[in-house]
Amino acid sequence: MNMNFYKRVLGTVVIPLVFLLVLLFICQINGRVMIANQVSFTNFVIYAAIIMITTIALSINLNSGRFDFSLGSIAVLSSVISSKISYALLGQSAASAFIMFILSMVIGGLLGFISGRLYNFLRIPPIITSLGVTLIYEGITYTITSGKYLMAEVQTASMSAFISNWVNIAVIVLVVLAVIIYIFNLSKFGAEYRALKNGQKVAVNTGIKEVPNAIWCYVICGILMGIVGFLNAGRNMTINGGALNFGSISIMFTAFLPMFIGGFIGRYSNEYIGYLLAGICMSLLNSTFAVFANEITASMQSIINALLLVVFLIYLNNEGKIVNLFTFRWLRRN
Amino acid sequence: MKAKYANFAKKATALVLVGAVLTGSVFARPKKAKNVKIGVLVSDVSGEEALGFRAYYEKYIASAYNVTFKYTEQLTNAEEEKSAIEKFAAQGCKAIISLSSSDRVTQLQTCSDYKLYYAIASGMLEDDQYEQYKNNPYFVGQIGPSMETEFQAGLEMGRYFAAKGVKSVSIYGAFIPNPMHVYRTAGVLIGLGATYGGTNDKNAVVGQLFGDSRVNVAKISSPKVAIKSYFQGFGETTTDELNAAIQAKPDAFLSVGMATTFFTSQLNAAGIEFSDIDSFTSGNGKAMKDGKLVYLAGKYSSSIGPIFAAVINAVNGNSIRDKGNAISLSQNYLVAKNYADFDKFYTSDSGSSPIFDKSKLDSVIGSNVSYEAFKSLVENN
Amino acid sequence: MENQNKKKIGKYRIQEIMLTLMPGIALLVLFLMFCIAVISKEYMLSLYLKIIFNEGVVLALVATGAVFIYTLGSFDISLGASTLLSATLGVMTYNTTENLALMIIVIFATGIGCSLLSSLLASVFNIPVFVTTVAMMSVLSAISAQLITSNGGALGGISIPATLLKGLDNPPFKIVVLALWFAICLFVFNFTKVGRKQKFLGGNPVCAQLTGISVNKYAIIAFVMAGIGVALGAFLTIVYTPSVTTGTAGSIGMNILVAIVFGGMPISGGPRSKIYSSLVGGFSYILLTNFLKIVIDGNAGYGISQIISAVFFLLVVYIASMNYRTKMLPR
Repeated sequence: MNMNFYKRVLGTVVIPLVFLLVLLFICQINGRVMIANQVSFTNFVIYAAIIMITTIALSINLNSGRFDFSLGSIAVLSSVISSKISYALLGQSAASAFIMFILSMVIGGLLGFISGRLYNFLRIPPIITSLGVTLIYEGITYTITSGKYLMAEVQTASMSAFISNWVNIAVIVLVVLAVIIYIFNLSKFGAEYRALKNGQKVAVNTGIKEVPNAIWCYVICGILMGIVGFLNAGRNMTINGGALNFGSISIMFTAFLPMFIGGFIGRYSNEYIGYLLAGICMSLLNSTFAVFANEITASMQSIINALLLVVFLIYLNNEGKIVNLFTFRWLRRN
Repeated sequence: MKAKYANFAKKATALVLVGAVLTGSVFARPKKAKNVKIGVLVSDVSGEEALGFRAYYEKYIASAYNVTFKYTEQLTNAEEEKSAIEKFAAQGCKAIISLSSSDRVTQLQTCSDYKLYYAIASGMLEDDQYEQYKNNPYFVGQIGPSMETEFQAGLEMGRYFAAKGVKSVSIYGAFIPNPMHVYRTAGVLIGLGATYGGTNDKNAVVGQLFGDSRVNVAKISSPKVAIKSYFQGFGETTTDELNAAIQAKPDAFLSVGMATTFFTSQLNAAGIEFSDIDSFTSGNGKAMKDGKLVYLAGKYSSSIGPIFAAVINAVNGNSIRDKGNAISLSQNYLVAKNYADFDKFYTSDSGSSPIFDKSKLDSVIGSNVSYEAFKSLVENN
Repeated sequence: MENQNKKKIGKYRIQEIMLTLMPGIALLVLFLMFCIAVISKEYMLSLYLKIIFNEGVVLALVATGAVFIYTLGSFDISLGASTLLSATLGVMTYNTTENLALMIIVIFATGIGCSLLSSLLASVFNIPVFVTTVAMMSVLSAISAQLITSNGGALGGISIPATLLKGLDNPPFKIVVLALWFAICLFVFNFTKVGRKQKFLGGNPVCAQLTGISVNKYAIIAFVMAGIGVALGAFLTIVYTPSVTTGTAGSIGMNILVAIVFGGMPISGGPRSKIYSSLVGGFSYILLTNFLKIVIDGNAGYGISQIISAVFFLLVVYIASMNYRTKMLPR
């Protein structure tokens, strides 16, 4: 095996490994166990899935210069509508969770399609379109739920059974990963997407149809956020229908750090595998926070997450200088 | 270019027309008969208790009396509260009933400035704040659980489970710095026979909880009942913290608020008995009948009836005063320890026949109502 | 042929002027609609206008300073959190020292300091500005929450004596503050090389740098201006209500973005940036949301009014950007 392979493997696993070792060490010296039982492990898998899928959804449009604030509102609205339909049709039936999952994806895709079509129709910067779309979808959610928490529609035996089995979640993760890698790395659509991402004008001039590509990106993001909405509903066993005035955008910010970690890992292997590993890192961190929740308040957790983001970005954007500093190249040159 | 200009003109015209139609819809509304408008400040628009309060005012009181209640959207800070009061003043409201607590003193002062009567429902000012403002003629009063009542509610909950013989508990709540929750938590700890930081004095424990900005489990000493875990449940770690609390296999899960909203299904599934301080809703009834909810301290939805009576008296020039001061009466919680108790409370305060119905309220609305009669009504129901 | 060209140019100029005036026209239309709604409901118009002004003035102050950042093609969503922290530290300073002047100094130092920190992180460490501000938003909010909860105790928030700044809680004072700040920003933005160079940097950063314009220097200036706006907003927030809770200034961060765009500011910055977009857009947005709340009553109305205001927002932005459509999808 050549060194390049080992370098790629090292580059891929170094960050998750560092996360794991450091967090395990912190837990160990304080006599705590990060993941103590089956339920903890399932929660860990669910949160990793949520982060991974949200990050993929964010990156699809963001890497193309399309900032989308509406991801959170799509997740909430798709889960609200799907839970109401599945509960109305099937009640406490064993299949209601699965039907809600499918519906959530379909409705998420539809919401993404509307968002994409609106962007194409208005031809204004996507960040502005996303502001309007976010407010609209939040408003629709509030109107449907009257601002209340949805509980009965979500707290079904079917949902509990579905979400408590980590294998179901792992299957979702693997299928999403496989499909996304195929679409964006191996298909013609993905090639066109990359061409548009790296050189919009040139790509359009060579005949690539930008509009369908962009709209399909929004549809895929919508489907992914539909999955996230379902997972969040299962994890929390409630859906908050009362978020107005950009209350839903916070989920998007949780995906920034994993996106940059994934981008780093992507240099050595595959960007989307990087997002999976980044999701695992964030979930490890979340599990550690939970164990130390009495000592590390929610405010301190926010600060730690923000500092990690800044520190990582400092490294990422100054990698050359930092490497030079630590390898004393600047000294050797002199 | 002509086509583009025409296009622009069409769009601008459409914009103006949309505005005119929306505005015109205002003209189309039939004018309502003049009645007393009362503004209600709310910080919780989705909780079961808040919805129960709203239904009582809007469906029962508004139809029984010549009043209109105008509700705010969810208020999250003091500026929104003040702005809401100013809007109510501009809309011709005569009084404000507050169910929002970001800055009650500013609310009171703003109401004074705009000559609106102000009352606090289901809550209270701090003692020193009450002393400062009790002479204000626009301060009608406050009826709700005092901090002592909140403490007692927690104390009785803790004592109940201690007497039941539980050996271990998990505790949820104490959303610092919400004083209501802090006093309840202090009561729970002392009721379980625990000390916090070496003391079981109410004020000392409360002071430490505020100072620590959390419940520091390491400071709890509980010889009879082990405190297996405590969590506040903010942010993304809630699910894991709940799991940790359940996995600790406590004999009971004690909540000082909101557990029945978020954790009922998980606690039922885990088979852990739990308690809460919430309201008597159908969901809680189901949890008590078929689930593991064994202790619920709550209020009637119509418990905010007497403060309405005091407000309408003030508006009509018949203020009820306690020796010239604003009313300050504490309302206790009702406790259901089984489904029969729950059902009794739930059905006795139903939508069309609440506990504080028109006949009871009419006995304290009018020109010759004494403070003692009013106080008796509040304390005996 | 020449006449035809002249006519075309003339028509184009008229269209350009009308599109430029579009946000102002929207403001006027909204104002008229609002007044009609208030009068027809027999509400007090003078009081309602005062309320609108109070709701809009803090947003307008902070947004006016933020225009400098947006002109560069960046954006900052941590301004709400900066306002909260400035107000928090100001109140804590007064409660400790009972010195009003010191309180004001601390408010300004915090506002400018927070903005400078974002700018320095971005310029020294080459971090994308937007991501820096996302991190700053989390950090500043968390620090403020920690300070407020540990100092506020049972009250749930911290406050200064109600009478301290009550005398300043009146429209004339706030109008003077807003007018002065706007005049300063207008001068700097339109009549000094600072504004000119920032527009150049926003329009074409590569060319701007090649002509010798320092990105870092003008970015720092932009963030300082934004920080001053934040400080003024924090001060007027305390003037309006003397208490600070964890929810104070909660909606400013995103509302600035909406307000500026609503006022006709291009999100990519550059030479088409307008300093007045913050004023026009801020008050337009406040008028629109309040108009809808008056017209649409009831609990479900909050959701519906948000939908309508979002549609209106998109419509105004769409019309205002008509002249700048590109064949490719904008980014």
